[in-house]
Amino acid sequence: MSTIAETASRGQTRRRMRVDGWRWAGRIFLVFMLLYTALPMIWMLITSIKSGFAATQFPPQWWPDEPTLASYQKLLDPQNSVGQDFLRFFWNSLFVSTVTTILSVIVAVPAAYAFSRFSFPGRNFLFFAVLLRNMFPAVIFLVPLFILMRVLGLMNTHGSLILTYLTFGLPLAIWLLKGFYDNIPVQLEQAARIDGATRFQAFIMIVMPLSTPGIIATAIYSFIGAWNEYIYAYTFLSKNDQLTLPVGIQRFFSENTTDFPGLMAASFMMSVPVVVLFLILQRYFVRALTEGAVKH
Amino acid sequence: MAPPVRSDEQGHATVTIVTGKAEARRRLQPGRSGTLRKIWEHRADYAYVLPAIAVMLMVIAYPIYYTIELSFFKTPPGLQLRDKTFIGFDNYTAILTSQVFWKVTWNTLIWTLGSTFISFVLGFATALALHRDFIGRGVLRAILIIPWVISAVAASYIWKWIYHSDFGIIGAVLVGLGLADRPPNFIDNVSTVLPSLIVVNIWREFPFAMIMMMAGLQTVPDQLLRAAKVDGASAWQRFWHVTFPHLRNVSVVTMLLLAVANFNSFIIPWIMTGGGPSNASHIWITHIYELAFGRQRWGVASAYSVLLFLILMTLGYFYVRALSGNERNEGSA
Repeated sequence: MSTIAETASRGQTRRRMRVDGWRWAGRIFLVFMLLYTALPMIWMLITSIKSGFAATQFPPQWWPDEPTLASYQKLLDPQNSVGQDFLRFFWNSLFVSTVTTILSVIVAVPAAYAFSRFSFPGRNFLFFAVLLRNMFPAVIFLVPLFILMRVLGLMNTHGSLILTYLTFGLPLAIWLLKGFYDNIPVQLEQAARIDGATRFQAFIMIVMPLSTPGIIATAIYSFIGAWNEYIYAYTFLSKNDQLTLPVGIQRFFSENTTDFPGLMAASFMMSVPVVVLFLILQRYFVRALTEGAVKH
Repeated sequence: MAPPVRSDEQGHATVTIVTGKAEARRRLQPGRSGTLRKIWEHRADYAYVLPAIAVMLMVIAYPIYYTIELSFFKTPPGLQLRDKTFIGFDNYTAILTSQVFWKVTWNTLIWTLGSTFISFVLGFATALALHRDFIGRGVLRAILIIPWVISAVAASYIWKWIYHSDFGIIGAVLVGLGLADRPPNFIDNVSTVLPSLIVVNIWREFPFAMIMMMAGLQTVPDQLLRAAKVDGASAWQRFWHVTFPHLRNVSVVTMLLLAVANFNSFIIPWIMTGGGPSNASHIWITHIYELAFGRQRWGVASAYSVLLFLILMTLGYFYVRALSGNERNEGSA
């Protein structure tokens, strides 16, 4: 609608041609990006409903002659050994990610609030120290943490993962939340305190409700990070019944690498929870990035 | 590098309330410097950050210390670390004189710069193309973000299947179009493996740049763009002289975050190739991992980690500078 209005207001045909040129370039580019993004995922789905035989044809069957949900049935069947493993890995991932998420929020909320509101000595130093954690790869911490976990007796437990995931999720969580708190007027809290609330009460009753979108965004971020994490889980866990999905899937299919439909079905199901979560809550996440990271 | 502590009204309020107490304390302990007194006055504030800092210290400070220590030792395999022997800088000289080191460093450079630059350009362009409202924009944006959300493990398997040397879809398309006699082998070939992996990495990463730049675009004042339009600026001029300068900080932060993430990436090369063939797709991180957990050369791996650490500290310096740039702007606004 706005296009018509603008076109009408603009008298010169030549300029309209030029603007249209950019717009068309944008559209073509978007189509290209859509194909780049979507085709691999579509091919994953198509492969996952093929039989093992149909997947290993050349030239490939663009659409399977006999689509089948056998791979999914196998993965979700608790009677089957493959299904048992898959469901256990799924449960392990869910457990680790949920606990990590809850703990991250509990730890990040007060820290972010303090970084936003108080001016204690070393505040900036600590804040940047926390952010710097994001800079370092898992590998640097891997050997010492491997030893630390052995000392703490956490090898092969989900505790080792939760503890490590907590630290790698915290920096961005704190950063995002701080942006939210920065945008909540201090006067609101001051008013509450004049009315007799303690600082803690003001925090719980005024600040927390206002920062719910930020907390949701933080929670999504922690959950997705923990759900998708691979390298620590790969290193800390060796017992089959402890594995999380990203590692489990690998162990699982390295034995018979030809089962590509099964692998694609497993990849798909591993992606479903985080994609659904993200799509439902994405506006919080995008908004958190806008408020926390960019809008300064 | 100690940034001055900004005091806000809040801090002042607290100080005035406790002045009496602080005064008494100062008289009791005349030797205390101003900083220590301030720390004492704000002691309650630290309680809020303490849990975060405690977790960080345990899982970050200790490992960093330990890695540095280990890098000066010759270590036996099997992590029997009581038997380690001090060898000074031998691990470092061994690394810097090895052939593999330079090969891996070159790969890391190509991987990091290639992935970062292309992801950023594609993400930025997508953000610009999505900036104007149209029907289906929300759906399109959601679809474009999905690769960033799904696990890198899943992404690696999807693309491994796409690149498959016998049944891969790209090979089949190339043969179908008559561009190749038989399906090319993308990831078992020394010259194509790294670019092939970079394509996968970009697939996963451009959405991040897109989100960041979309957020940034919302902060560009509409009045400025309209004013430029009234003054007869073309679309390109408006972009180059109005939009782009506004996004400089966001761009720097985005590119640094991408660069760090790429420098640190592990999953895609590890799952798709394991660093092969003949180290053609080994980057620093996969190489360190293999040295440590594959060949159990903990000392050398630690020395590598320390070098990596130094490089990242340099990048980190610019990251903090870019971020404090943001903070300063906020302060003056």
